[in-house]
Amino acid sequence: MKINFWYIISFIISFFVIIPILTVFSSFFENTSNYYQVLKDTFLLEYIFNSLILLLSVLILTFLIGTGSAYLVSFFEFPFSNFFKWALILSFAVPPYIYAYSLTAFFENYGTAYTILKNLFGEANYNQNIPKFDGLFGVILSISFSLYAYVYILARASFLYQPQNLIDLGKNLGFSKFKTLYSIILPAARPAIVAGLSLVAMETLAEFGAVDFFSINTLTTGIYNSWIAFDDLAFANQLSFFLLLFIFALFILENLSRKKARYHMNSRGGFKQKQKIKLSGGKSLMAFTFCFLVFFLSFLFPLSQMMYWTIKFPENLFDLEIINLLINTLYLVVLSSLVLIIFALISNYGNRVTKDKTLNILSTLSISGYAIPGVILAVAFITFIAWFDESVIKTYGFLSIKKVFIGSILGLVIVYFIRFYSLAYNGIKSGYEKINISVDESSYLLGYSKRKTFMNIHIPFLRNSLLFVLILISLEIIRELPITLILRPFNFETFATTAYISASEDLLEAAAVPSLFLILIATSFILVTSKYILRDQNE
Amino acid sequence: MSKNFFEIEDVDFNVGGKTKVKNVSFSIENEGDVICLLGPSGIGKTTILRTIAGLEKINKGSIKLNGKLISSKKINIEPEDRNVSLAFQDNSLFPHYTVEKNILLGAERNKEKNGKKISLKEIVDLLDIFHILNKYPHEISAGEAQRASLARSLITQPDLLLLDEPLSNVDQSFKEEIQVRLKKILNQLKITTIIVTHDSYEAFYLGSKCGIILNQELKQFDDPYKVYHFPNSIEVVNFLNRGILIPAKVTGKNTLENWDLGTIEGNFIKEYPKGANVQLLLQPEDLEHDDTSNLKLEVVDRKFRGTNFIYTLKTPSNTLIPVFVHSHHIHQHEVDEKFGIKRPIHIDHIVCF
Repeated sequence: MKINFWYIISFIISFFVIIPILTVFSSFFENTSNYYQVLKDTFLLEYIFNSLILLLSVLILTFLIGTGSAYLVSFFEFPFSNFFKWALILSFAVPPYIYAYSLTAFFENYGTAYTILKNLFGEANYNQNIPKFDGLFGVILSISFSLYAYVYILARASFLYQPQNLIDLGKNLGFSKFKTLYSIILPAARPAIVAGLSLVAMETLAEFGAVDFFSINTLTTGIYNSWIAFDDLAFANQLSFFLLLFIFALFILENLSRKKARYHMNSRGGFKQKQKIKLSGGKSLMAFTFCFLVFFLSFLFPLSQMMYWTIKFPENLFDLEIINLLINTLYLVVLSSLVLIIFALISNYGNRVTKDKTLNILSTLSISGYAIPGVILAVAFITFIAWFDESVIKTYGFLSIKKVFIGSILGLVIVYFIRFYSLAYNGIKSGYEKINISVDESSYLLGYSKRKTFMNIHIPFLRNSLLFVLILISLEIIRELPITLILRPFNFETFATTAYISASEDLLEAAAVPSLFLILIATSFILVTSKYILRDQNE
Repeated sequence: MSKNFFEIEDVDFNVGGKTKVKNVSFSIENEGDVICLLGPSGIGKTTILRTIAGLEKINKGSIKLNGKLISSKKINIEPEDRNVSLAFQDNSLFPHYTVEKNILLGAERNKEKNGKKISLKEIVDLLDIFHILNKYPHEISAGEAQRASLARSLITQPDLLLLDEPLSNVDQSFKEEIQVRLKKILNQLKITTIIVTHDSYEAFYLGSKCGIILNQELKQFDDPYKVYHFPNSIEVVNFLNRGILIPAKVTGKNTLENWDLGTIEGNFIKEYPKGANVQLLLQPEDLEHDDTSNLKLEVVDRKFRGTNFIYTLKTPSNTLIPVFVHSHHIHQHEVDEKFGIKRPIHIDHIVCF
């Protein structure tokens, strides 16, 4: 193995990102407080039960919504099917906690639903007849309608690239549409669907905003409490380690169940546009209704609720320093995304050219940062800096570095980096996997150096993947809550933190304005780049 | 100091820690010579090319190009610094560039060589790829992609050009024409070339020397004529599928005796003592048809090959012998009929093992 520039830089990046995972793991060698005993005797079972129910329900719901809508828009033609194709990804713009605010605002006593009924039918006691979507059910709905787009995007991309021959084969064997779906289309799209569901699973277990808003006790709450109330970081880390194990176990199980099945075919024929089936009558109406309901519930509903409140309580609009919040949000987004993209790109290239096993294992481990809840990452970072400051910096008589990293933009960017490195690394990796290694070799044989191959061959090829990853990360950072809350500089607010603070003070009306702006910015990001997100080259 | 333009000395070719071909030595004497390496699929021909290109390393022996050591256990000049071009068998065009841009990337390295610089137009005409210049690699057929890849390699005018099954995906009808054009341009530009192929006719036509790789070894490296007529081992005979081996006894300086065919005369390419038992290589064109001969064998099969028929005849000792007959020969023999062999049997070059 040759240790060169690419090896060293990739090693440093991967090692840096792996530190929090090592911190979480090292917690097993530390003493925990008596919080563990207290929790075991009281709520631990409830936490585990709630987390399990939450996870399973969200997975089932996102699978049904995401795969169902992807199937309809990929294989059928019905009114507005082309509109739904991209409209269904707009739910990305609504984070679960804003969805939770909208659910509460609409269905609470004397809420928006009540107002509508009152305006339509006059004064009456509607409150007892309006269903309440709060508690665990509220969290499930909020997360599912916000995150199903992961499954939708990946399933749709997979459906799009399924060879027409495969579908024709089903027809040839006399399969009904339903049988073609469950015995050919879905199994062939399985890796993509599982990849989508794994993102949903990690986001669900790490979800903080909606869970906190509805006061549901999950393992994440346990982690947060053990740190906030008992100052027991070791136990918080242990709990998150179990969370990680749980997620890994799920996916190892799925992987084992695949046995030796392959899910892709080598095709020399290139992309062939699928022949969509034109629906008519009742079937067309059903397909339209399903997609419209998903679009309405996931995007239009929270958007209109937030708009309604912004219009109803305009004073909140003027109370906020919108320009300031906008600059702060965009500043964080641009800075963090660029840092992430550049380093993930370098690390991917380093892995590709060195072909080193150690580096490969390190990179694989480093991407699991995405599965660690943001709360834990932020806390682990503070603990690490405090320890480093006390035991290294001060020992040698240097000035304290706490202020440089804690409560600073630098600290925020570092922790975002660790949290979202997986998204950036994997997004670029999937782009890289499409470049045959013989392309690199051809480039070397044409006299191009490694650096020139990287700049002149890889980067132009990866342009679309990079843009896609950039938008994905930007959306994550716009919506991100716990890390920003814990690590932001004093008096530095974003739309997300402003919305959270208002909501936690029971000022949901005030939360509406920053929430609305957050949705609008995220939506504009999605609209500008929807063609890259959908990866629909032929349309 | 060696005067050869290119030289491989006692090299083991490895891929993924596994030795594919051992103890290989051969050389290309003059700049501009074209040699071919022949062998069955998976034998390690591509590994040899990849190693020469610098994409794989060696632990034993040395590779020299133009007097300069480019590979040894200690030295490995990077691929980009060798001026060696390799056209891969599979499509390795840059997918995000058009065919024209792909070829022009190769032209960036193009230096004037021996007073001549090849232009894009010349290369496009040579390989007949004008119609695909503005297309992307995914929009063209496998054969067109192979020609485009070949164009990109040729335009670099490398010190050494390596072609891995360059025409395997090209339509048969077009293949011979491309072979003629390729040979012409390689000659014109004096580009030293190593071609890997499993098509012996392609190798015999394009190469001034041919190497046969079998069972992890370079079995024979010689002029195509010699490889064809004087194979140096039974393995090479079997690989080239040029005939059968029948038992015979050496009866004189120019004669031997077979139990089924009787006396056979001709020139031995290697001396054997009188009375020695040998295996005689009998090729389809060695026997002549003669309806009037008293040596008659039974026809068990007849293959029509356009310009000729190949009859398979059964001898009294149940040996199957192939015999070549021009297809214009009026008297065609059916299966189970008797087929006359001209006597005395004369073979120009007698090859025995």
